[in-house]
Amino acid sequence: MATLDHPELRESLNLLLKSSRPRLERVLRNFEIPPEDAEDILQDAQLTLLYKWDKIRSPESWLIGTVKKKCIMYWRKRRGSLCEAVDTAILDLLAIPQPPDQEKTELTCDLNRVLARLSTRCRSLLKLRYGLGYGPTEVAEQMGYRTSSIRKVTNRCLAALTRQLLAVGFDREPEGEPQDG
Amino acid sequence: MDKHPDPNLLSSFVRSELPRRRNREIVRHLLARCGDCCRVALRHLPLAYGGGAEPRGTWFDYGKSFARAWRETERRQDSLAAERSAAPELLRELLAQPLDRQRVLVITSTRHRSWSFCELLLEAAREWGYREPGRAIEMAQLGVEVAARLDPAVYGQERVNDLAARAWGVLGNAQRIRSDFLDADESFLKAERLLKQGTRDPIEKAQVLLLKSSLRGNQQRFAEAFRLLDRTVAIARNCDDAQLLGRALVMRGFLLGTANDLAAAIESLRAGIEGLDPVADPRLHVAAQHNLILFLSDSGQNDEAMRLLESSRPLYHEVGDQMGLLRLRWLEGRIASSLGRFAEAEQILRDVRQELIERDLGFDTALLSLDLAGLYARQGRSAEMRRLAAEMLPIFRSRDIHREAIAALFLFQKAAEMERVTLGLIREVSSYLQESRSAAGLRSHEPR
Repeated sequence: MATLDHPELRESLNLLLKSSRPRLERVLRNFEIPPEDAEDILQDAQLTLLYKWDKIRSPESWLIGTVKKKCIMYWRKRRGSLCEAVDTAILDLLAIPQPPDQEKTELTCDLNRVLARLSTRCRSLLKLRYGLGYGPTEVAEQMGYRTSSIRKVTNRCLAALTRQLLAVGFDREPEGEPQDG
Repeated sequence: MDKHPDPNLLSSFVRSELPRRRNREIVRHLLARCGDCCRVALRHLPLAYGGGAEPRGTWFDYGKSFARAWRETERRQDSLAAERSAAPELLRELLAQPLDRQRVLVITSTRHRSWSFCELLLEAAREWGYREPGRAIEMAQLGVEVAARLDPAVYGQERVNDLAARAWGVLGNAQRIRSDFLDADESFLKAERLLKQGTRDPIEKAQVLLLKSSLRGNQQRFAEAFRLLDRTVAIARNCDDAQLLGRALVMRGFLLGTANDLAAAIESLRAGIEGLDPVADPRLHVAAQHNLILFLSDSGQNDEAMRLLESSRPLYHEVGDQMGLLRLRWLEGRIASSLGRFAEAEQILRDVRQELIERDLGFDTALLSLDLAGLYARQGRSAEMRRLAAEMLPIFRSRDIHREAIAALFLFQKAAEMERVTLGLIREVSSYLQESRSAAGLRSHEPR
């Protein structure tokens, strides 16, 4: 695409954003992006399009594709942060020095109940992490994983744990052996 | 936390916006299996991610989101327009300075720290790559310096990383053209690292992959080059980018031809040319046509090669590149020779050879001399062959020819003296020279 003069660029971009709006809205709705966050996603994609206008041959499909990818990244990041928050909170709860016995027992009992709904692999991994306080390298050694892949496996198990933690809201009961992680 | 947390707090928890202590309290509450609070929290997650019982997107109103995003884009358009109009003058000013001063200027002067100026530098580096690779490297290095100093607060860190990756890619390509393969490898490594920290724009990635495939081709690492091209083709198809697809197919055709798979090369070049927009990149279009004609002729399809050459002639003149026009004449001579029009072919090849000698282009002169030798061999003119062979070595010893290539030419000269030159030997020496040139990255009619 040849470099456009300023007024031409403004007009072309304007037209493009107008014509692509229904498709963009559909993408945002399908991904259930809250409007306050949709603004950031749209703005970021539009600015990249503006700066790279001369390099992009099919601006509409580029814009739709970019917004889709950003939506996926948005949820991936949100989910990642939520899992991290849950993990940190559990580690913090377990690390509280000398809590009353009853509280400690209740916490262990509640945690085990959630862990029991996970797959055997995730349950073992998280028990090493929370129950015995193992670090990632020790968990990898104990479970026979490569150190390079333990982070990925742990993240999957944390995602499964977070899902189970919130799944109570649906009153879903596990069917057979859970396959999470 | 014995009582239920406030719904706003739960919403903030799902968005990971709470301080650590609050998070701890909510997780403890949820671990106790509070169904009500779980349901509230789930409402803030999408269905596809294990959230609410029904899609929430249907009742979202995006009107304000679109309006605000557009307002910011419009505001940036104005500053980008100002940058764009200032960039050419900045480049003129910069190029008027000695090289050391140019570097100091781009490092110290804030006027030069703009997206548009960086892009202009990189375009200039690309242009210089065709004519003077050393200059192209200098320009690309300036581009790298500017990209590294762009303000992330103005352009966005990820976009700045994209442009920096582009700058390293252009530098790597210029280094490849100059046969600095180790430096080129380093530059592409940096480009790829920056891409990973960028916007993940597939088009930006594909441009780097395409340039890298060219490097791998020069390094004779064809399998890797073809893998990179496959990825580029996939991106081009996904993004509906016919020009990028055309460029990738043309590059694939060129590499297939270098690897002596002429039928596949011709097929890929044809498909590539079909997708190319000649107005967007006339040089690339001519280079692609040139290689297609060359491979058609090499595979014995001389009539078609001649027809295509005639129809492409205006394009060569339009681009106006003197080397391109010289290569066109060379091709004409080769095709005339293959078609048995020996007198015409000899005249053309001799004229072109003289021009190549004057331009100090050793490899090209060697290759053309072998074409001329082939013509003599077919006519049984051994005296001319001996004379030609005797003339060759002294010219090449003083020019850009590698030791191994000189050895091949020496063998050829000895065979000529003994009147034992065959077309097979000429083809062998010629293809050896082509390979050694390709490995040295000196193939000047390859698409860039």
